[in-house]
Amino acid sequence: MIIKCPYCGPRDVIEFVYQGDASRTRPEPASTDQAEWNRYVYDRANPSGSHREYWLHSGGCRQHLLVVRDMSSHAISSVSFARENTSSGDRR
Amino acid sequence: MTSSRLNTGGRIERSRTIRFIFDGKAYTGHPGDTLASALLANGVTLFGRSFKYHRPRGVFAAGSEEPNALVTLIDGEVREPNVRATEAEIHDGLVAESQNRFPSLEHDLMAVNQLAGPLFSAGFYYKTFMGPAIGPLRGTRFWMFCEKFIRRAAGLGRAGMAADPDRYERMNAYCDVLVVGTGPAGLIAAETAAATGARVIIAEERPVAGGSLVSSGELIDGRNPAVWAREKAELLAGLPNVRFLTRTTVWGHYDGNVLAAIEHVADFKPNRTEGQPRQRHWVIRTGKTILATGAFERPIVFPGNDRPGVMLADAVRRFAMEYGVAAGSNIALFTNNDSAYDVARTLSQAGVGIGTIIDVRTDISGTCRDIADVAGAELLLGHAVTATHAGKTLSSITVQHFNAQTGRVSGAPREIKTDCLGVSGGWSPAIHLASQAGGKPEWDEDLQAFLAPEAHQNWVVAGSAAGYMDTISVLSDAATKGSAKHRAALPTVDAPMFDASPAPVYQIEPDGKTQKAFVDLQHDVTADDIRLAYREGFHSVEHLKRYTTLGMATDQGKTSNVPGLAIMADARQIPITAAGTTRFRPPFTPVSLGALAGERYGDLRPHRLTPIHDWHLSAGATMYDAGLWHRPMIYGSPGETIEQAYIREARTVRDSVGIVDVSTLGKIDIQGPDAAEFLDRVYTNMFSTLPIGKARYGLMLREDGIVFDDGTTWRLGQDQFLMTTTTANAGPVMQHLEYYLDCIWPDLRVHLTSVTDVWAGAAIAGPKSRAVLESCVTASKVDDATLPFMGIVHARIGDIPVMICRLSFSGELAYEVYCGAGFGTAMWEALISAGTPFGIVPYGLEALGTLRIEKGHVTGAEIDGRTTAHDLHLDWMLSKKKPFIGSAMLGREGLQDNNRLSLVGLISLDNQPINGGSHIVADATPREPADSFGHVTAACYSPALGKYVALALVKHGSSMIGRRAYASDLLRDKHGPVEIVSHHMFDREGSRMHG
Amino acid sequence: MAEIDSPLGSNYIAGEHGNVAAGIGVSLAERRNLSIIQVTAWPNTIPTVLTAIGSATGLIIDNKPGLGRVAGEKSVFGFAPGRFLVTAASADLETRLRSAISADLGTIVPLTHGRCVIRIAGPASEWVLSKLFALDFSEHAFAVGHGRATLHHDIHALIQRVDQDAFDLYIFRTFARSFWTILGHAAEEVGYRVG
Repeated sequence: MIIKCPYCGPRDVIEFVYQGDASRTRPEPASTDQAEWNRYVYDRANPSGSHREYWLHSGGCRQHLLVVRDMSSHAISSVSFARENTSSGDRR
Repeated sequence: MTSSRLNTGGRIERSRTIRFIFDGKAYTGHPGDTLASALLANGVTLFGRSFKYHRPRGVFAAGSEEPNALVTLIDGEVREPNVRATEAEIHDGLVAESQNRFPSLEHDLMAVNQLAGPLFSAGFYYKTFMGPAIGPLRGTRFWMFCEKFIRRAAGLGRAGMAADPDRYERMNAYCDVLVVGTGPAGLIAAETAAATGARVIIAEERPVAGGSLVSSGELIDGRNPAVWAREKAELLAGLPNVRFLTRTTVWGHYDGNVLAAIEHVADFKPNRTEGQPRQRHWVIRTGKTILATGAFERPIVFPGNDRPGVMLADAVRRFAMEYGVAAGSNIALFTNNDSAYDVARTLSQAGVGIGTIIDVRTDISGTCRDIADVAGAELLLGHAVTATHAGKTLSSITVQHFNAQTGRVSGAPREIKTDCLGVSGGWSPAIHLASQAGGKPEWDEDLQAFLAPEAHQNWVVAGSAAGYMDTISVLSDAATKGSAKHRAALPTVDAPMFDASPAPVYQIEPDGKTQKAFVDLQHDVTADDIRLAYREGFHSVEHLKRYTTLGMATDQGKTSNVPGLAIMADARQIPITAAGTTRFRPPFTPVSLGALAGERYGDLRPHRLTPIHDWHLSAGATMYDAGLWHRPMIYGSPGETIEQAYIREARTVRDSVGIVDVSTLGKIDIQGPDAAEFLDRVYTNMFSTLPIGKARYGLMLREDGIVFDDGTTWRLGQDQFLMTTTTANAGPVMQHLEYYLDCIWPDLRVHLTSVTDVWAGAAIAGPKSRAVLESCVTASKVDDATLPFMGIVHARIGDIPVMICRLSFSGELAYEVYCGAGFGTAMWEALISAGTPFGIVPYGLEALGTLRIEKGHVTGAEIDGRTTAHDLHLDWMLSKKKPFIGSAMLGREGLQDNNRLSLVGLISLDNQPINGGSHIVADATPREPADSFGHVTAACYSPALGKYVALALVKHGSSMIGRRAYASDLLRDKHGPVEIVSHHMFDREGSRMHG
Repeated sequence: MAEIDSPLGSNYIAGEHGNVAAGIGVSLAERRNLSIIQVTAWPNTIPTVLTAIGSATGLIIDNKPGLGRVAGEKSVFGFAPGRFLVTAASADLETRLRSAISADLGTIVPLTHGRCVIRIAGPASEWVLSKLFALDFSEHAFAVGHGRATLHHDIHALIQRVDQDAFDLYIFRTFARSFWTILGHAAEEVGYRVG
């Protein structure tokens, strides 16, 4: 598999580390809602089809990338820097 | 003599002679010969014994699809089994032997297996070895008992025990267009692609380019097609934008237009130049792939079809045209399609006579009739071969009337003398690479073959791989596939017109008891096995494959898949297209493990050395592999055991002073205005309050509340920290921090850099450590006031700038001294010489472990991905003032349960060592199985306590203190009494390190 | 001042090695006594930092992925967003960069001790490097002056093309001796000279 890093260009998958589902949102750090934390830490959809996920380009620029990949064909439809994807994560 | 060398023809170099050995006997051949062609030229037709029945087998094909003629190549102690004799090029001194025969190929005792035929039918292993539910042979025990006999009787070649001394390498390549195959399609497609200026890689499995052109009897541009192909290939190879690889098999087609290929760089050479690899594993990333992989001829299945002398019709032609070898002296052909007539035409041009042509069809074209006529062959239409007769090799065949519509055999048998029967059951496009990276292959009723599936990536199939079965349409198809913009001028082709559509006849099944009819020659799967699988309910192709092992041998069923499917479809009375087919998987042909391992073995495996490595070696350290690191385990004195050495080292640290290389600790430079805030979020304890010039021990959790890593972090400036991690977790901690900065808190202004390699570190520990430093450190004092516990000073040792932090892993007064890695050895030597008057000793990992076990300090053995801060008695580090990673999930019921394992110490009560990994049990007598309520994480002899001790994770740990239990390690036959104690086994108050 | 030890130790053997009968495919040499400084800009300060690097070194580059420049012993190239490696033979490089780049522009990490710089030069450079790295080394894909971050198995490397057939490899110091052995092994086929 080849991932087209926005900085380094197309690179072999061996240079990357899978860093998990990018569609979830981390609860507020001070939240004590156990159900919400449980969903964040454990629940995954595993869809057959398009999936948003993080890959760390550990063997290159060391940036986390937001990759949209089809889980059945491995076809990658978009790659961007995770940092520039403001909808990810929380702000505090 | 059956097979023999012709007087002319072939691409062999007749003026030179090569000497080689097969099964202990010397033979000769010529450059250009394969082992198969050279042996056939010598009249050898028996090549091996079959997989299950040990039946004599000869050469069946002429290329990579060969199922039968597998040999072992021997080079001294090194054996390479299962090499196809049809691909192995001979060289002077080559030694090969046949396989799966005992004691010899000619006299094989195991051939009695043939008599037990039904025993080895489909599902044999499942039926025989699924033992009863109870009794001495229950479950798989009967299999365990029989396995070694069966493994010896059934199988392929045997690998050697000697290490392979050969060199294998990997090569990464990039191109715009990859062309696989250099038959007429590949050459024309490559030419058009190259003309656009694209970077082109061309890969050809065989030693020479040309594919079918090498053995064709046609004329291209009025010339010999083999010469035309050679000149075209030379032209292409000379272009600056083309890389032309011969002897290179593209064997895997992966996601993202990545293909894997093996180049046989030197397999065929008796001597290699220095540094030349035997094989090169190419990983090719391409913009577009043109699969011009040709087609495989397939056999018709009939009784006795596995005799030496029965082979594919086109293989007979290839041996004659490519190697100048007649595969028999009296050749017959058996076909359901026109291509066998082209073989007859070519062979008769080459002076090889054809006695008989047996065709299942009654109606054939005038072209075919004329060819038979010119060749002087007897033409038997509406006939089929129903039996074969042979000693070691074919002597005659039985022929009967056959109705291709009903499949019925009738009429009186007629015996025809022949020593070589060329069989053609039609052609299957070689869609293996397309199938690996595509959808489901599609059945073509006209060609009676599967065609390439819809592409999931940027590839196209060209030529006969795409179903174009004559040279003219192959060339015009390939010209359009090479480039959309550019079209090559096509050569003229002088060839007879044939019909590409075979009669749909796959198996000849005469009534009554007949000889075995083989579908998969390599795995000895017969047509009866497939019909048996059907009767027993294994209908789907996936079940058929696994139940009968059809197509699961090293040839992956290149010649047997379609006949096998057709027979199953016939049994189910459904069309082949409804029976479906299995998907092809890599590799296309077997790949040696050496080629895949490449250079990553032995001394060439990557490893890491600390800046002080050479000093450790010269001091006689015994080194230990810790992950990729090489670290000193002990610095043994002559005559000392490992235990004696580490006890001496650890005792010296407690008594006076020792020094240990800690350069392997992970070190991360953390800078930026939000660095302190970031650390507050990732550590369980507070770092924003840490003063500049001080260090603090920190604990990190995972998001789920489990402990992740620990280490000290030093504040070097308002916005600059140096984080240390455990050696093993340096990489994972870096990734963890990067993840939170990139994905969760991108607004924090923090930069991370791994500086593990920038710093050399030495920990100097023991009551005299301060005195050692005082005698060599300049530019700063190191007294308690200037350098208190967890304080940091910048100073010099000689002219080397150093950073010194007072912290302790050993429990003694101790310091970590860091300098630039390039000064590491000089700093270390300065510390050793300053310490010599104080009796300093270097100590290794064993003593380091001993000192920390005595103190109950945790490492990776206890931070095992299951333990919480509470389990490890580190809950004092959990801040209540702020959220941190893992804080939200800490309070979960399961993590608070009193039943959890928690950290304790153990003291051996029988003065015997405690084994790491032992279970903690209550029973005084060893018993299996026993209720375990904990396990030993680390153990040693404690010089400070004068006892064998251990750390353990034990249920209800704290409330068990003072109780007696047993450390049980039945695998190593140890079971001994222990007392459970606090994990702080030595200097509980910590007075020594504050001293 | 103490001299920085080479991490290659006794594995650095000057002379000709491998299949030199057919000529010298590559020459391998360790570049010693360099200052190697990493500069990282904040997302909104990259152009300013590049200007500052230019004023400190005389090497001016645009803000595009992997761009770099080489002038004699000095070089600069980008290998991650906002992150640059600056190398020079002068010991005052760090001081010059620190005075040009304040904390609000970016951060500076001296890597002098942490990297071993190996220069590979010669007609077979691309061939030998292609054995170890999954990178397109052809000049149209990897132009002179440009940098790349990549790895060989576990060994991370920064690579700058310093000439048509010459590359500088920045290898983590603790891996350097291991990598040197692997590189020499890969170069044996084409013949190589050390020194």
